[in-house]
Amino acid sequence: MPSEELQLLIAGYVLGDLDPEEAAEFEQLLAQNPAIANEISQMQVALETAYAPPQLPPPAHLRSTILENAYPARSTPLSANRRKLLSWRSALEIAAAAVIITLGINNYQLRQTLQTAQVQPPQSEVITYVLNATDAGSAASAKVIVNPKDLEATIAVQNLPPLPPGKVYALWTVVTPSAPYTTDDKKAILTEVFEVDERGNFSQTVAVPKVYRFEDLVVKVAVTIEDANAPQKHIGSPIMITGL
Amino acid sequence: MQSGQSGHQESPLLSQTDAELVLAVNNGQAAALGVLYDRHAALVYGIAFNTLGNSQEAEDLTQDIFLTFAKRSSYDPGRGSLRTFLVVLTRSRAKDRLRARQSARGVLNRWQSMGQQDSTPNLPLEHVFQNEQSQEVSSALAQLPDNQQQVLKMAYYEGLSQAEIAKRLEIPLGTVKARARRGLLKLRQTLTHFA
Repeated sequence: MPSEELQLLIAGYVLGDLDPEEAAEFEQLLAQNPAIANEISQMQVALETAYAPPQLPPPAHLRSTILENAYPARSTPLSANRRKLLSWRSALEIAAAAVIITLGINNYQLRQTLQTAQVQPPQSEVITYVLNATDAGSAASAKVIVNPKDLEATIAVQNLPPLPPGKVYALWTVVTPSAPYTTDDKKAILTEVFEVDERGNFSQTVAVPKVYRFEDLVVKVAVTIEDANAPQKHIGSPIMITGL
Repeated sequence: MQSGQSGHQESPLLSQTDAELVLAVNNGQAAALGVLYDRHAALVYGIAFNTLGNSQEAEDLTQDIFLTFAKRSSYDPGRGSLRTFLVVLTRSRAKDRLRARQSARGVLNRWQSMGQQDSTPNLPLEHVFQNEQSQEVSSALAQLPDNQQQVLKMAYYEGLSQAEIAKRLEIPLGTVKARARRGLLKLRQTLTHFA
């Protein structure tokens, strides 16, 4: 049990009132005795229990919105960076209409799909994509349940092994070549980046690209392994994919 | 690991401390911001909602907090815990928005009721947050001397700096610190159990 003097210093840290000398001292103490971290948590819990209002999970879409806006688009328009999608969306809607009309794209099916989507509501409330492992020996599986109206999806992944540091899993939406959306050179839109817990599971509700409103334009949904600091580079091959 | 990767991650993101994650966020790692969000968004949103009273504004404020944090975090992990930093920041920004809302309403009222004395009563900000405290919390707080409760409330609940508290109460800064720390220590002993 830490001394009262140390406990008061920990209280000061949790309250955020350490002066520079105390901060330096505290940093040393923490380095010498990492178990102090546990005391910090206890103190934090006590403070919040007494004085913080009840914690409330925000609406599901807020997470993706924040992540997409936190690191806004920087360079080439053809990068598969999903974060670009929000800022490109309205531009693309105009561009798509203009491209179809003025260049007279001879894609009758595409035109029909878009018109049908505008006139009729989607037949089913949700669309379920089932992904299986490309390696026959793997027990990994995933389901992506999309609500096209709200452009939200629940991703549920099971039995994917946790990755080494510096790597993440990436979920890709692969679209038809003629679809009027920004994709990378593999016709893929980076849809979510995630890690699994120690049991190999991941579950989250996320926002999805507008292409999901036109079911025929989504060809595949796949999962690859990417570098955590540049998942958009899309260097991995699918380890899970629909249609197997 | 690829060359060009910034930082040197010893452990997967999920097991990193808040301080390590903040460093990663400052290096532009989106995944680290995601983990911080998963850990702390409910705290931020809870305060935002509690202060502002509706989900739309609470969402806006939560987004504001996390985006500010991603762009230029003034948080120094050496000086205090991230959660308290977020609480104080959220509380402060929420009060700014409340004041803006009330002053906008005040302007509106002056337009609508020209010449009349009648104006929207400005609720003291303290009355906006009505927490229903559990029995356990109430009795734990009751065990604190009044002067410790007072300082803790001003520091954490109202987000006042210790210098501001010292000025308002006309007591030395050292006394403010001592009261707050002793109060929190007492709370920790009463509310949580030793292993």
